Parts: sequence; structure tokens; C-alpha cells
Amino acid sequence: MKLDRLTPEGQLTSYPPAEKWEDWVEYDPKCWPERVKRHYTIIPTICFNCEAACGLLAYLDKETLEVRKFEGNPYHPGSRGRNCAKGPATINQVNDPERILYPLKRSGSRGDGQWERVTWEQALDDIGSRIRTAILEGRRNEIMYHVGRPGHERHMERVLQAWGVDGHNSHTNICSASARLGYALWLGDDRPSPDHANAQFILLLSAHLESGHFFNPHAQRIIESRFNGAKIAVMDPRLSNTASVADYWMPTWPGSEPAVLLTMARLLLEEDLFDKDFVQNWTNWRSWMATEQDSPHATFEEFITALKQHYAAFTPQFAEQESGVPAKDIIDVARQIGRAGNRFASHVWRGAASGNLGGWQTARSLTLLTVLTGSVGTKGGTLPHAWNKFRPTFWSEPPQHKEWNELLFPTEYPLSHYEMGFLLPHFLNEGRGKLDVYFTRVFNPVWTNPDGHAWIEALTDTNKIGLHVALTPTWNESAYYADYVLPMGLAGERHDVQSQDTHSGKWLSFRQPVARVAMEMQGKSVERTYEANPGEVWEEDEFWIDLSWRIDPDGEMGIRRYFESPYRDGDKLTVKDYYQHMFETSVDGLPEKASQEGLSPYEYMQKYGAFQIEGDAYELYRRKVSLTDTITTSDGTVIKDGKPIGLMVDGKPCEGFSTPSRRLEIYSPTLEEWHWPEYRLPGYIRSHVHRSQINTKLSEFVLVPTFRLPTQIHTRSANAKWLNEISHRNPVWMNQKDASQIGVNSGDLLRITTEIGHFVNKVWVTESIMPGVIACSHHLGRWRLKTNEGSRWSSTLVEFIETDRGTLLRHVKAISPFSSTDPDSSRIWWSDGGVHQNLCFPVQPDPVSGMNCWHQKVTVEKARNEDKYGDVLVNRNRAREVYRKWLTMTRPSTGSLRRPLWLARPVKPVRELFNLPPPK
Amino acid sequence: MQACPYDAIHIDPDSGTAAKCNYCAHRVEVGLEPPCVNVCPTHAIVSGNMDDSSSEISNLLALHPVQVRKPEKGTRPNLFYIDGDEASLKPNATTANDGYMWTDVPPQGVDFNSWQGAIKRHDHEQTHLANGAEPKAAKTVYASTEPHRGSWGRSVSGYLFTKSVAAGIGLILAPLLFLVPEISSTHLAPAFLTALVFLALTNFMLVFKLERRERFIWVLTKPQWRSWLVRGAYLMIFYGGTLTLALVLTGLGEVLSPLFLLLIILGAFGTSIYTAFLFNQAKGRDLWQTPLLAIHLLIHSVVSGAAMLGLLALYLSDGIMVESLIIRILAAGLGINLLAMGAEFFSEHPTEDGEAAARLITRGTYRKSFWWGVFVGGHLVPIVLLALGWFIPGALLALLGVYLFEDIFIQAGQAIPLA
Repeated sequence: MKLDRLTPEGQLTSYPPAEKWEDWVEYDPKCWPERVKRHYTIIPTICFNCEAACGLLAYLDKETLEVRKFEGNPYHPGSRGRNCAKGPATINQVNDPERILYPLKRSGSRGDGQWERVTWEQALDDIGSRIRTAILEGRRNEIMYHVGRPGHERHMERVLQAWGVDGHNSHTNICSASARLGYALWLGDDRPSPDHANAQFILLLSAHLESGHFFNPHAQRIIESRFNGAKIAVMDPRLSNTASVADYWMPTWPGSEPAVLLTMARLLLEEDLFDKDFVQNWTNWRSWMATEQDSPHATFEEFITALKQHYAAFTPQFAEQESGVPAKDIIDVARQIGRAGNRFASHVWRGAASGNLGGWQTARSLTLLTVLTGSVGTKGGTLPHAWNKFRPTFWSEPPQHKEWNELLFPTEYPLSHYEMGFLLPHFLNEGRGKLDVYFTRVFNPVWTNPDGHAWIEALTDTNKIGLHVALTPTWNESAYYADYVLPMGLAGERHDVQSQDTHSGKWLSFRQPVARVAMEMQGKSVERTYEANPGEVWEEDEFWIDLSWRIDPDGEMGIRRYFESPYRDGDKLTVKDYYQHMFETSVDGLPEKASQEGLSPYEYMQKYGAFQIEGDAYELYRRKVSLTDTITTSDGTVIKDGKPIGLMVDGKPCEGFSTPSRRLEIYSPTLEEWHWPEYRLPGYIRSHVHRSQINTKLSEFVLVPTFRLPTQIHTRSANAKWLNEISHRNPVWMNQKDASQIGVNSGDLLRITTEIGHFVNKVWVTESIMPGVIACSHHLGRWRLKTNEGSRWSSTLVEFIETDRGTLLRHVKAISPFSSTDPDSSRIWWSDGGVHQNLCFPVQPDPVSGMNCWHQKVTVEKARNEDKYGDVLVNRNRAREVYRKWLTMTRPSTGSLRRPLWLARPVKPVRELFNLPPPK
Repeated sequence: MQACPYDAIHIDPDSGTAAKCNYCAHRVEVGLEPPCVNVCPTHAIVSGNMDDSSSEISNLLALHPVQVRKPEKGTRPNLFYIDGDEASLKPNATTANDGYMWTDVPPQGVDFNSWQGAIKRHDHEQTHLANGAEPKAAKTVYASTEPHRGSWGRSVSGYLFTKSVAAGIGLILAPLLFLVPEISSTHLAPAFLTALVFLALTNFMLVFKLERRERFIWVLTKPQWRSWLVRGAYLMIFYGGTLTLALVLTGLGEVLSPLFLLLIILGAFGTSIYTAFLFNQAKGRDLWQTPLLAIHLLIHSVVSGAAMLGLLALYLSDGIMVESLIIRILAAGLGINLLAMGAEFFSEHPTEDGEAAARLITRGTYRKSFWWGVFVGGHLVPIVLLALGWFIPGALLALLGVYLFEDIFIQAGQAIPLA
């Protein structure tokens, strides 16, 4: 019998309706045109590949409860049923014949590649008792959790807070620290949430139609507004796919972006194309006039005059000279932005911000345009992300801890956003501290971070790192140097929640171990998620609960009680308890919505996987504050208990922004106070790869090593066969003109020399990159040292050779077919796996934001006779020298504080810990 | 697979059968969009009912100028591109060097550079950059579809060769029997037997190359009558039948009637040239669309038939035939073939891809095999040898020439990427 149609003849719908998900029947495409019916249970979850947290539907075979495929979840407010290639490819990662299925403990010395299978119990006992001892002995700072791929909103912070350790380390400073600082200085909120869907003009310093942070949710909304007539400009030295469909491609010399942005700002001021009321009411211009211009009673007009004067040097000619973008294009785009009024959406997250010394001024200069157009928080403008992000509250909050970990927040970087994670091996090397238990969670510092050899050294030294526990779903170069490799679940194999600021609106989504959910639906009881997952793949939520009970088995340390059920006194917390409580108590509107469907909030989230908490939310800075117990200063600041809580605008008390002044801080008293007075206004810092630093006659270039591929996700997608078939090499883009000069054609080998070594890669000659700049995607170039571990779909077998010039990584065996349970592994037709470049980059910490400045000044030549494709040579002593050179650029805190109190930092300690201890 | 001008059909390695995107017919039937439509972040793919004027796709088609791929192939494609750039729609509008941007170039059995070279040489207006390094053509960045290995290899050239021998024997022997009815059965039987053996080899080659050999029987049991593969199979069965009957009758000492001889001729003729129609149905391969193909095949049959019969006759020490007719037929066949090849390769092909493939033969990848193997070794030398009276080496070289030519023709035809 044929299946019934879901729609009238001639019409199509996108997804099976939710009421049919429990027993969904569809034809087997492999058997078509024979109509063979397959029964599935469809369970929603969220993608684990990038941070956007797009919705997925897992199709489980009703009989075996194995996942057969992943499709999009139409109920997810961010992704709306759509996905990039990385979502459906999750199935490859689930079925990877080489995935880690059981907890492993090293059996040889660290890095030897010898493993033995252990039980979760053994692992928990061992790790738990070590942490317990460290805490009892007052070595709390020796416990560190270093996260690559974050998730589960606030859960991990709560765990660390309960343990009382200052041990949260993240990948932020190799990712977004500079953009965060730039936004935070303006808004008090460190992320932008552009309302692309309603914009009239979109300025991207990124490639958001193909990749980047929140690519899928952003791309769909950018295209939506484009179809409604919005114009798009893209600043990128590289003609990305995004730039190629934009109305304007502005190929800017890396690091010159603020010069262009400030010039556009000046044009808006000069041509009167800015929103006077907005700027007057909502920025802290008076503070600037009072301090800088010494005129506390200046008028707004005087301020504008002073501001024009301040930016007088930013002429279109100057911007052209700095950036290479023709002056007329800069003027044209500036006018278009001005005409878009407060429907100007913009975004910078990595790219220009993360590549350059002073890159944080890029985000700040970009936000100046947002502020001048009055587009902050408007429909079609750019919103502070906090408006669009959910934060859960818990039944019991552990108190703030009483530690300050100098390995994370050293005095040299008081404004860093956040932890100086990528300097960890250098700090350990200098004896600033040591670690007893070090967790890496879906993080691969050896490969991803600059100066990977420093990481290998630190990770192999058991005196520096006592125990390295790698929590990871896949093999990676860092797990290789672990003591425990603990397999954690992928998208459909774990619990957590995510809420992301993908657009104007607030949503929450629920990641679930789908097989477990299906088993429970069938009435089977499951105590631990690893009982339902492939092998003994587990999830962190339960792991941390069990580990916390191991640390404090009898509750005497005061840790265990935070991991007890809110519903059953003294019982161990279950993940269901945890999320049930969250959904019942802290998600506005969810209980009501659920009860309309006759479901509990937990059942609702389990069924739909996502919930829209709020729709469009604009101009929330106008929210009213209560004037009870407040005083209002002469400039209209509303103060309560000595702290500004809002401001009076047009006679109304408004909430304002999250900055110390509650205003948009065009002038940053914080920078003034923290020894960077020259940067008190959005400005232009000449990057370490500024034109003046690059001598083209000596074949010097800027290497842009940061751009993403649409079909890879850092080092997590190595075991997704489809993704690796689509992209497996990363040649170096070079302009035709430069290639002629050097005398190379596409496919020829280049030796690219950085400050600490060199790498050898093929060249891709193209008109799609500006002369003087070369670019190489940071994806690809994965390697493994042993024939066994590692995803052979994408990793090249390599060896390390010590030479008198440094340590050489050399390819031993290209990617080749292998036999496994998956017949596709014997059909691998490609041999190129790309080249690892980060290994020969030194650390280059921005002295203000703490961001690693990724762009490299390099010398390029034809490969020499001794060079082989994929070579990476690193002089480790030189790497340490470069670290010290950049360290001298800092201006350490000298006042009474380690860090401004208002500036965000994860897992904040108590107030007293911010006090800078007197020098010893 | 050869019929699809878009390289859309491939062999599914799991099932060993041909597969192609069917726009998820199994979903559309129940009213679900194809997943490629659902998944696309930027809604770049739109599917729908073109007969419904209110559908999204109808609106888009009404509002935007659209392009299709290879309209000249007459496939009336229903896959439209808005703002479709020539560089992404025409495989030969771009050049590739060492690999695509993010991938190696998948093995296709195609000498890509040589093909590019053929295209470049063809286009005299091609401008070069100042340094002369690379032509100013768009570069292939991504493979627009998964390219597939040219699926016809040596077994197909082998099939063409054995078939031309099998058909050629009938084509020459039957008319010969009109002229010289007194040829003895001891001579006739081995000739018919040889034709039958080669016909059997022909069919073995056909079946052998299939991934799922057991399914060859479907050609007969589930015939698609429009396909010349099916028609050819029946033609060969018919020809095989006449040969078998001829063998039996000759064995019984019967004289073959003129009507029966005519049937043999018809069978042989059909077996020889049906492949021209089959190749004509391989719409993806421009080279094979040549109107001269039937003539080639016929001449090849005559050449190989004559060569084989001559060798047989020698073996049976019947000098008369060799000295007289067969030599002349063989020599004439070779001569005419030279003319036919001249017409084929030194006249302009109607399409760019056809021309590029022809150039691969005369000036590109296959030029050595063509000039030294086919032209000199397979034609000039045999003609000289025949003139000198050295029949055996002449005939063997002529046969080799036929095989070589078929092989080059098969390979060059597939050397042009379709997508």
C-alpha cells in the first residue's frame, strides 16, 4: 500500500509534521522505485559541529535505534530547518570506523601512542581522587578545564564554581578576544547580534554567506534582506564567496580596516548623515568633552566639531593609501550606510579583529558607524547579544570562588578577553605555576594554537602537567599527548542546552542523546547515557556530576550538595532533574506553551528540541528603570547604591547599556585608567603587518591564515568522510601579479618563512586576492604520528625530525584508502590532506585584548631542493624569543586592581580577589 | 551513462548499478521537498510545480532570465539557473591546473591538461597575460558535480574489434558466395565458425564489462525498444542465428540459397553498423555523434573481415582467394578508410567538444598512437606489404590498426569532461 501524501497533489512541505515523529514511515531511497517502507523515530537535537547550535532531527531506525540520518529541525528558531554541510555530516562522525568508543588510558609514556581500555569507574576514581587531594591540599589552581568547543550554558561554570577553583580556560583568545574587547568597550556587552533580516545595508568584515560564526542562521537572513533590496559590502583582502555576491567588495590591506571605517564615520559626520538625537542621548560624549577637551559644559555641537577634528586625518585619500580600497568606493559605501539610517547591520568577529595587532579597534570603529547611524538595537540594526541570549538560573548557586589563577589572568593583561589560554605552555615554562589535572574539552591546542611545539613540550612534561584528560569525540593531535582519552558524545549523543544570539529574538535549544530518549520512550530505563550511545561514549553532564561525587563522596567539602537533586533530598542529581528544573523555572513562557500542548516543559523540549523565548526585541535600552532609592546626576545618570543603573532620556528613566556609565562609551575611561590613554576613542592602530612593515622587494608578504572553509570545522570534522571528500587541501592563495614575480604557477611549491620557521605548501594563483597578501585556510593539514590513531580520512602520517635548524615535521605517507567496516574507506580517491601552518606561527598576544594576532609577516620563495610538500620547520628557541618580545609590549596593572571590575570574565571570583596583591 | 550529457549518472559502488539524482522521487511522492531544498541555508535551490502558476518556482521563472546546461543536447532540462555564469555551466569554459581549490582532481581516466591544451590551441584568440604563464580564463575552483571515470574501456574497444571481424566475415563471404558458389564446405565451415566465435567474444566483452553481469539478460527480457543496445542485441542474435544455420547447412553439404545469403548479409550489415546508432544515442559524447561513424564501422568490418578470411584461407592453403579478391578488398578497404579518416579528422566538427576530442587524436594525447599506430602501422605499411605480396604481416597489421583506432576513438570520446 502506498503511503498517504502529506500535502495536496502538486504541493510540497518541508518536514514530516511533529505528531508523526514517533513512528515516521518513509520509503527507502536505495530501494526506490520499489516502495520499501522504513520506520523511524524522529528525535530533535542540536548540531555539535560549530557554535551556532542549529537544530537537527535524528532519524532513528525504529528497530535498532541506530541513527540513520540527520536533517534540519523546522522548529528551531535560529536555523529554521536549514543546515550547512556540517549538520547532516554528523552521521559520518557517528559511524566513523575509527572513532573512540571506550575510555582509554595511556599505557606507555605520554605521547607514545600506547593505550589500554579502562572503565568509566576506573577513570572517575582516579581523576576524582586527584582533584580531591589537590583541593584538600589547597592546590585549587592546579585544576584546569580548557574548552575548545563550548556548549551547555553556564553548566561548566557552575561545576567549577562548586569545586571552588579558578580553572576555566577557553579558546577565546585565539578566536574572538579582540572583537569582544572592541564591542565590550562600547556596549558593555562583548558580542554583536546583527538583525540582518531587516537591514537595508549590511557591512560584513567576514564571509558569512559561506562560513564564520553563526554562518547558517546569518546567511539565511542576509539573503532574506538582500531579496528585499538590502545592499551588502564586504571588507576582505580575499574574494570570498560572500564577497563575490556582495554589491561591494572592499579588498582591504589586512589591519587597515579601522582606517576605512573611521573614514566612513568621518564622512557621516561631515555630510550630516548621522543620527544626532541618538548620539546625543545615548553616548558618553560629555565625559570625553569634560576630560579631553576640558569643557564639562560643552554643547553637543561643540562635541561634534571636536569629533570631526579628532578624525580629520581620516580622509578618503588616507584610507585608500592605507587599505588599497579606492577612495570613491569608500565614499560611496559611507553614503549608502548613511542613507540606510538605523537599518545598518554589521558584524566582525574574527578576521580583521583577530588577525591584527590592535584588531580590537576594528570592532570599535565598526561600532562607531553603528552608533552614528543610530542602528544600535534597532530593527535592521545591530543588537547587543545579551538581548538575544538566554541565561539559565539554578536551584542552588555555588558561591563565588576565592582563587585567582595567574596562569589565566596574569597582571600583564588586565583587559584580556579572556583567559590567556594560548600562552599557557610559556607560563608553565617560566614557572608561573603548574597543573595537576588538566582537562581539554573538544580542544586541540597542539594543532590549533600557535606554537604547537610549546604545547607538545608542556604536555609531555609530567612535572608541568600531572594528568591530562582529553574529553573528545574524535582523535586529535592533543589527545595523543593525554593520560586519559575519554570519548564524549556528538550532536545526538549528549545533553546540553544552547542559546545563541543569531538574530533579533531569544531562543533555547536542547541537545539530547537521541538513542537514550528513544529507549526511554519505549519504556526502557537508562541510568547513564553511555548505556544507550555507541560503545561507551558518554556525555559531560553526567561525567561532571559523577566526578563531583567522587571528589566529595560524603559531602564534607561542600561540593556534593550542588550535584544533588532539586527534587529528592540527598539523591544524586540526574540530567533530567537538571534540565527539568531549568525548563520549569527559568525559561519564560515555556511552561505555558508546554501546557497548551498537554506537555511538561521538559517533555516539550524533548519533543521539539527548541523554544522561542522572545520574538523581536528592539531598543531594549529604553526599558524603564525604577527611580526608587536613586539619585540622578546633572548629566542624567541614574545612580543607586553608588552605581549607575540607568539614565534619563527625554525625561524618562531608561536602562541604557551595560557599560559603567550606562551609555555607549565612545570615550573609554577604562582604557585611560588602564594605561592606554592614546586609545581612549575608537582609533587606528597600525598592525604588525602594516604596509610599512612589509618590504615587497624582499618578497615579504602578509599571510592571512585564518579563513574558514564552509565544509570543515576546525579539527572536529576530520572524521566526517563527506566533508573531507569535499575539501582536503589548503593551497596558498596568491595574486597572479605576485606569482609572476616569484615565477610560480598554480600547483608549484612555495616555502613560506615565518618568524620562527617555515612551511611548504602549494600555491593557488588567483585574481581573488589582493597583491601583497597571501592567504591559507586554517583548516586541513591534519597529521598523526602513528599508523593507527587519527582519522585516516584526513590525516597525513608524519614524523618529527630534529635538525640543526629546528624541528621538522615531514610527511611520511599521504592519505590513502584503508580497509574498515565502512566500505567507503577503501574508496578514498584523494591523497592530499593539506598543510599544517599554525605550528610555525609564534604566539603574538595583543597587549590590550590578549588576542593572538594571527596574521603573519612572511617571506615567500619557490621551494628549495630539500623542501617537500607539507614540511613544517620550527625553531623552538626562536619561538620563545618572540613570545618574550610581545610580552614586553604589555602595560601591566599597577593600580589596586588586577582587572576592571565591570569587565566580564568567566567564573568570577569574589570581589576581594580582584585586588592586586602588593609586589613581593 | 554515456547518453547523459551532464555526467549525472554513475555506478553506485554499493549496488553496482547505475544511479542518478531523481530529485528524491521517494519523498516527492508523499509530498516532501527534496532535502537539498530544505537544507540550503540561503535557499538557493527551489523546487516545485511549474504547472502551477502561483508556485514559487513559477514566479522565479517568470521574473528572472534563466539558463540551462547544454540546451543544444535537446534534453529539455527542467533545472534552471538564475544568474548562471557560463564558467559554472560549461565545463570547458574554465581551466584546471593541479587540482581544484580545495580538492585533488578526482581520477576520471581523462588527461585533463591535454584536453585543456586542445581547447587552448583551438581558440586562437586566447589572450595571454604579460608573463605568458597562464591564459586569462576562469579557473575551475570546485567540481560542479562529482566527475566520473570514463566508464568504457578496453572491453568496449575489444567489442568493436571482435564485432567488426564477426560482421566482416559475413559481409565478405556471403557476397563472395554469389560470385564463387563453388567454395568448398571445408573452407566455408571454418569461416562461419570463426565469425561465430568472434560474435561470441563480442557478446562476452559486452557482458564482461558490466558491474552486475547477471543483469545482462534484462536487455532481452525487459527490452527498452528505443535503445540500440537492445536492437543491437537482437540484431546480433539474428546474425548469430544465420551464421549457426549456415554452419549447419554447410556441414550438411547444402548449398546456401541466395535468399539465405541475403539474410546473412543483412545480419552482418546490421551487426556492423548498429553501433553507430548506439553511439549516436550516447548523446554525452560529441565525438561519437559523427555522421561518418556508420561508414567507419562498415569499412572496419570489411578490412577486418578480409584480413581474417585471408588468414584463414592461407591456413587452409587456398591460395586463389588470397591472391585475387581478398587482397584487393583489404587494400581497397584500407585505402578508403584513409579517406574516411581524412574526412573525419580534417574537417571541422560541429561542436567544440567534438572538435576538442578530434584534436586530442590528431594533435593531443593520442597523436602518437594515431599517427604511428593507426595511420602508418595500420594503413600505410599494410598497403605496402600487400603490394609487395607479404599478406600475413599486412593482414595482422591491418587488424591491429582497426583495434587501435577503435580504442583511441573510445578513449578520446570520453576524454572530454561533461560537467
